[in-house]
This record gives sequence, C-alpha cells and structure tokens, in this order.
Amino acid sequence: MQRDKFFREVENVNHPNEKLIKTHCSYCGMQCGMNLRVNTISNKIIGVEPRYDWPVTVGKMCPKGVTAYQQTNHKDRILKPLIRDDSALKGTKEGFRESSWEEAYDLIATKFSNLQETYGKDTLSVFSGVSMTNEKCYLTGKFTRVALGTRYIDYNGRFCMSSAAGGFLRSFGVDRGSTLPWTDIHETDCLFISGSNTAECHPTSMFRVWSVQERGGYLIVADPRETPLARRADLHLDLKPGTDLALANGILNLLIENNYVDDEFVMNHTNGFGETKELVKEFTPEYTSRITGVSKEKIIKAAEIYGKAPNAIVMFARGIEQQHKGVDNVSGYVNMALVTGKIGRPKAGVATFTGQGNGQGGREHGQKSDLLPGYRKITNPKHVEEVCEVWGITPEEMPEPGVSAYEMFELMDQKKIRGLYLLCSNPAVSAPNLNFVRKALKNLDFMVCSDFYLSESAEFADVILPSVTWSEDEGTVTNLEGRIIKINKAQEPIGDSKPDWLIQVELAEKLGKGKYFSHLKEARDVADEFRRATKGGYADYYGATWDKIDKQDGVFWPCKDENDTGTPHMFLDKKFYHPDGKAKICALPYRPPAEEPCEEYPLRLTTGRVVYHYLSGNQTRRIPFLKDMCPEPYVEVHPETAERYHISHDEVVRLFTRRGECNYKVKITEAIRKDTVFVPYHFGDYESINLLTIAALDPISRMPEFKACAAQIEKLAVGKVQ
Amino acid sequence: MKKRLYLELENCIGCRSCLAACTQCGGHEERNRNYVYDVNPLVNRQTMPLMCLHCVNPACARSCPAQAIQIHETGAVLSALVEKCIGCQNCTIACPYGIPKFDTEQNLMYKCDLCIDRTKDGIPPMCASVCPSNTLQWLTEEEIEAKQKNHPLNNGKWVASMPYLEGETNVKISLPGILQGTTKLF
Repeated sequence: MQRDKFFREVENVNHPNEKLIKTHCSYCGMQCGMNLRVNTISNKIIGVEPRYDWPVTVGKMCPKGVTAYQQTNHKDRILKPLIRDDSALKGTKEGFRESSWEEAYDLIATKFSNLQETYGKDTLSVFSGVSMTNEKCYLTGKFTRVALGTRYIDYNGRFCMSSAAGGFLRSFGVDRGSTLPWTDIHETDCLFISGSNTAECHPTSMFRVWSVQERGGYLIVADPRETPLARRADLHLDLKPGTDLALANGILNLLIENNYVDDEFVMNHTNGFGETKELVKEFTPEYTSRITGVSKEKIIKAAEIYGKAPNAIVMFARGIEQQHKGVDNVSGYVNMALVTGKIGRPKAGVATFTGQGNGQGGREHGQKSDLLPGYRKITNPKHVEEVCEVWGITPEEMPEPGVSAYEMFELMDQKKIRGLYLLCSNPAVSAPNLNFVRKALKNLDFMVCSDFYLSESAEFADVILPSVTWSEDEGTVTNLEGRIIKINKAQEPIGDSKPDWLIQVELAEKLGKGKYFSHLKEARDVADEFRRATKGGYADYYGATWDKIDKQDGVFWPCKDENDTGTPHMFLDKKFYHPDGKAKICALPYRPPAEEPCEEYPLRLTTGRVVYHYLSGNQTRRIPFLKDMCPEPYVEVHPETAERYHISHDEVVRLFTRRGECNYKVKITEAIRKDTVFVPYHFGDYESINLLTIAALDPISRMPEFKACAAQIEKLAVGKVQ
Repeated sequence: MKKRLYLELENCIGCRSCLAACTQCGGHEERNRNYVYDVNPLVNRQTMPLMCLHCVNPACARSCPAQAIQIHETGAVLSALVEKCIGCQNCTIACPYGIPKFDTEQNLMYKCDLCIDRTKDGIPPMCASVCPSNTLQWLTEEEIEAKQKNHPLNNGKWVASMPYLEGETNVKISLPGILQGTTKLF
C-alpha cells in the first residue's frame, strides 16, 4: 500500500545468531520503521537495522532513532520498585530503597484509600503521557475513572498537541492531525510550513520536503528562526514569535482579494466565509507587516504562490500551537486551505507534525480531562453511556470532567489534589513556570511515579514503579498521519519491570476494583477491549485489528469494521464532521502574545528542540552519542544583539523573565531575529528553560504559551561565571 | 547493478544521523568513520557531510609502505589491514580530505570502508540508508546521470569529484546550488 518513488526493494542484513524484530522508533510522531537486532542466544537487543520495507520512511532514521535501542539495556534502568520513607528528601535523588511489588502496591493502595476517605474521591490525580501505546492510554483513562474514581486526569499532550486538536475540531468537527498520508507530501506543488523546525524535529520528513523543491515546487516557511528548513525555503517569513494569527489573516485577506477563492467549494462545503472575509479585510499587507515584522513583499508573494499552486499542503507544529491562542492559529492556517478548496483530495490538505510518539492516538482515547475513548465527550450523556457499557459501570459512576494539565498543578498547590499517579511524563522539566510546578509537586501528600529511569519528576515521588521500555511490550500507536501501527516486543522486560497496563490491572485488584480489569491478561486483551470502546466514536478504531495492521502496513482511522481498509485521505467526499457536513471558516480576531516585551524585558524568548534530544531529555540525555552531540542547553543570540549586550560566543550569561532565571552559554548566530532569543527545552534541574516560560493558557485547548514571553539578558559580572 | 554513493550537499540538515548510523555497521567498533562539518557555525549553521570518496587511485593506499590499504573489487577503499598496518600514519597525511584517522591504542589506522559487508551484497551503506534528508544516496550510474541531466549548471561542473578532486572517485558529489537550474512548476 502507498508505495512511492522512494520505495526500494532492499534485503536486510542478517547476521548470524540474530533475529530482526520489525517495529517503530520510540520517539516522535513520525514513528519511523526500524528493525531491532536481537541476539538469539542472550535474547537481548544489541543494535538496529534500517527497515527498508516501511513505506513512510523506507529505512531512514534520525540520530535518536539510530540509538533508541540503547535505552532498553541501559545501566540507568530502574529494576525494582523504589520506596522513599523520608518525605523530607522529596525533590532529590536520595532516600529510595528497593522493595517488592507487593509492598509497593500495598503502600499505594493504603495511601490512596486513606486520602480518598479523608478528602474525597477527587483528591487523587493522574498525569500521563502520549509516548505510550493506544492500549496503555486507553487503560490509563479507564483506570483513573473506574479504579480510582477521580475526575482529575490529564496528560502532557496539553503541552504539545491540544491546540492542534482544538483547531481541527473547530474547523472540521474532527481531529485527525493530517488529512492525508505522508506519502503524498513530495507530490504536492507547494508546502506552506509554519512554526515547525522540521529538519530537527521530524528529520525523516525532509527527503519528501526537499523532493518538492527538486520537482520545481515551492517551499514557504514561517519561523522566527532561520532553521535548516527555512534556510533553503523559496520564501522565509521571519515573523516575531506569537504573531502567527496576524500572518495567517493577512495571507487569507490576500487570497480573497486576489480571487484565489474556490467559490463552489466555499459555498457548498463551508460556513463562516462572509464573516471571516470582513474580519480579515483589516489585515492589509502593511498592517500585517507591522504586527509580524515580515516584509509586505514577502507576505504578498507567499499568498500568490499558495494561491496559484494547483495542490498545496499547509503544515504546522508547536511553533504556532504552543501559544495562548494556539487554537486560533491552527484554525487561521486551516482557513487558507478551506477558502481555496485545497483540501479533501490527494496531494492537498493540512497536517500537523506530532511531537510525541503517540500524540495522535494518545489524545483520542480518554487521557484528556474531558474525553473518553474514541474521541467521545465526557459531558455528552450518550457518549458516557456507550463507554459505560464497555467498562461495566453505570453513568452515575462516571466522574465529571476535570481540569487541564497545568491547572492540576494549581490544585496541588492549593491542596485540593493531594495524591498523584504520574506515568510516562516528566512535568518537572516540561511544564511551564517550573518553580511553581516543582513546588506543587513537593506539596503533594503522596506521589507515585512509573518510569524506567529516575526522571526529574520521579525525584518528587514516594514510590517509583519500574516500567518497561517500548521494546519490551507490544501494542499500537497512531503516527502523525493518523496511521495506526504496531509496536512489537523484542525483549523480555529486564529486572522486575512491568508494562504500565499490567501495573494498572494489578493495582486495580489491590484497590478492590479487580472485576473491571482482571480479564486483561495480555496486551492483546487490552487492544480488543480498546477497539470495542472506540466503536462508533469519531476516532473509530474498531476495524483496526493487529492482523490488519500487519497486512496493510498500518491502518488509517476511522476504520469502522472488518471490511473497512481505513481512511488514508480525509474528506474525499467533501463531508466534514460538523452536524451539517460543512467545515467552518473561522473569523479570528488577532491577539498579541500574553506578555509583550517592555523596557525591563525587551527581548522575546522562544523555545524548541534540537535534533539530538526528545522532549524533557529523560531518555536521550542518557544515550552517549546524543549526549556528546548536545550535552548542554544554550541561548541563541543574534550578533547585533550580542554586541548591544557586550556578550560573546560561548560566554555564560544570565537569562531572566518575570518567573525565573537561568545561566546559559551564548551561541551567536544570524539564524535568529534580533529581537528574539531561543533556548532548547530538553534539559533538567537548574538548566531548564521552563523555569522562565509563562503559563498563559489558551482558552480552548488550555495549552501554555511556551513559544513567546518577555525576557532579558544580562552579562555576568566577572567571577560570577559558573 | 552497480551502485555508487552520491552526496547532494545542499540537502544536509546537520542531523548527524550518518555519524550515528556509521557506529552501527558491523566491524566499525561503534566508532563513526565519517564526519559532518559546520561550514559557517556563527552564521546560519550550514553543515556538510564528508565521507571517504573512495578514490580510484587513492593517495592513502599509494602512500602506504606496507600495502595495508586494500581496494575491494567494488572500488571501495578499505580500512587498514590489522596484520599489515605498521602505524606510520602516512595515509592520514596523504589523504587530501582528512579521512583516515589513527587509533593510538591499537596503533592502527581506521577509515570508512563503504560498509563493505553491506555494499558487496547490494545493501546500501548505513549512512545512506538512514540519511533522512537524502544528502547521502545510493544510486545506480543511470540515476546519477539523470540527476546531472535534470540539474545542469552553467559552469559544467555539476559533479565536483572528477577531475577536480583527488583524481577520479567512486563517490560522487554535487556542488551546492544544484537546484539553481530547476524549472519551477508554476
């Protein structure tokens, strides 16, 4: 299926005494195909071999992917449950002792029960992640609502994907991150990529991106930094961080003014055009240029190229989503595709780059405070009823919707939440305004953390449960295309580590809720229940059986039944998921960033990734090759800005905002705007840039504004350098 | 079908997957034998990979007094033979591209062998297998010719490695600016 010009028949190397396990990378949403090399005598993973037969990435991997196998047998793995008896040591690596699973489970069950008896059901909370399989994501939602009976569950997708979800839901009535398969990308005529450092964050997309240009197509990139992607773009729109919506509105205005509108499509398949047309009139090239800092000539040219392109894809990522108007930004760029009718056919559409491995699947199946499996709403009685039937509980037993990720920390600070079960996430590095978040974690009465390394967040736990890496378990994930794929087990769990789904099943038993979970004996049982739980939902996975996934090189959702082969292209029938079948063109007034530069904080701070690290760096900072390549964070400063502050390359400076301060080495580069500084966010403890970022939340997605806040740089006095 | 390693420098995004991948090739002792250079680090961080070009008449082999550097029938210039290398480092001095490196512990030179245990069986070398930006490609002669035809440069120097570098090489490199001659679709 979907094999294209990049696909080549190449045999894999077969070394003696080795078997190759077909699977996918543990990191970002690309989920590149790879073979894990397993020694058949020791039954251990010993290396990696490209997976040439995977149609999306045809063997290509980034440095994280090549070295991902080194996670599993790493010396830092936690091999036994750890308990800390002295809570005074919270927030440090000290004071843990090894225990049996029995002791750890008993302690958790007792503490959780006591807290709930004293302070009510909702005193407990669950904070999870989406670097785990659909099955685990699904079960975590069920565990929270059925075994713990609390309303408070949310996940790190709030820091990553929820604005894209909000934007897609508003515009299309459904949230599938890409309306087309990745194998279409190189065949389009114009790629408009906004707020994505694709070359570093999703490098295995690059051979398709470059191929567009090689064929004579156009690449337009909107980014405050001259990233490797922007460097080669036909047009680089170097906007000020946080001004994307103005740019999108400005381009939309030009598309309408210059008659690039697909009248037939707009009339028959969309709502809201008239209102939007009026609103964007204000965004003339001059006005847009004033707000964004991009020259009006470039804005005019961008609209002309996108407008003229027979087929075009608008793509975006965290750059536009991690803002306190991220949902508006997403809908703003989606407007471009809707107004010109460049959607609902192959080679044209919109797509978001998913940061986390299962950023797509993980947000569909009930880890969000207001969602149930299959993208059902917890506030919709019919949806609740459907899920209750699968779970075997009554609608009255279903908890109310909770609050978003950052807001849970506020409740911890206020002692409204006193217990936390954290898994597959590292908010002590990845949440905004970290001084506050770390204080909130410390304020908990009891915290459980499930992880395979002692992360910065695990340091706040009372009990650490050793979980497995991705290669010691099996299940499905949904990649950035919306393609459900299979992760296969390559090695038995090392030490006493266990998969999270099994931990939850056993813990439920201890909590007296065994009857809802005890039938789940292996990952496949969870998968089967999970598929049933999504049946009839927007994100319908019912037909995506493991066998079909293997046979078809993945299955795109929705996949409703056994005869359905899935849906690679969305909206081919021009039917959108709003009740009237039409998409919504949104009229979106521009709002500036929550915090604008001022005299005291004259610079804009923006954050992002480097190619060598993944999210909070808990995994990648331990891999020797990746650590060597990027051992520490830095602050990117334009040469003219550096001259103004009398700072030089490699000098350590103090960077500060209203929320905190950090010392960083300076990296002087012309790739950054003069009014902006950039710091990668993968580092922990006192190096974490999130000590400085702002927790201004989007009103719809509740996503914090990681991408823009006001900052200042200060030269350190001599002798103060670390 | 005979294939060659081909470098399209303009595609490089500096991810260093090729370095990571090189460590995964059998017999490379988890050490990379290729390099990625920052061309202008304080400006825009443009990078370029450099691998052994596998010269047809290689200076490293020519300069080796012990005949420790063998040339495989595929054209790949191999790493020094353990039993023959005397550790004189002539090869590291002779190579105009700085490819052979010296392992002082083993008193032995090591260099890119074009993943000979893969390429002899028609499997692409690890660097070209994983390269996510198609900077490193494993192509047939016809495919390389087609590229040259599709992207003509006015100066006629589309491929830099013949005869402008160290004589004729088995690895081909396109000059930056390969897309200058591309006709836009619209």
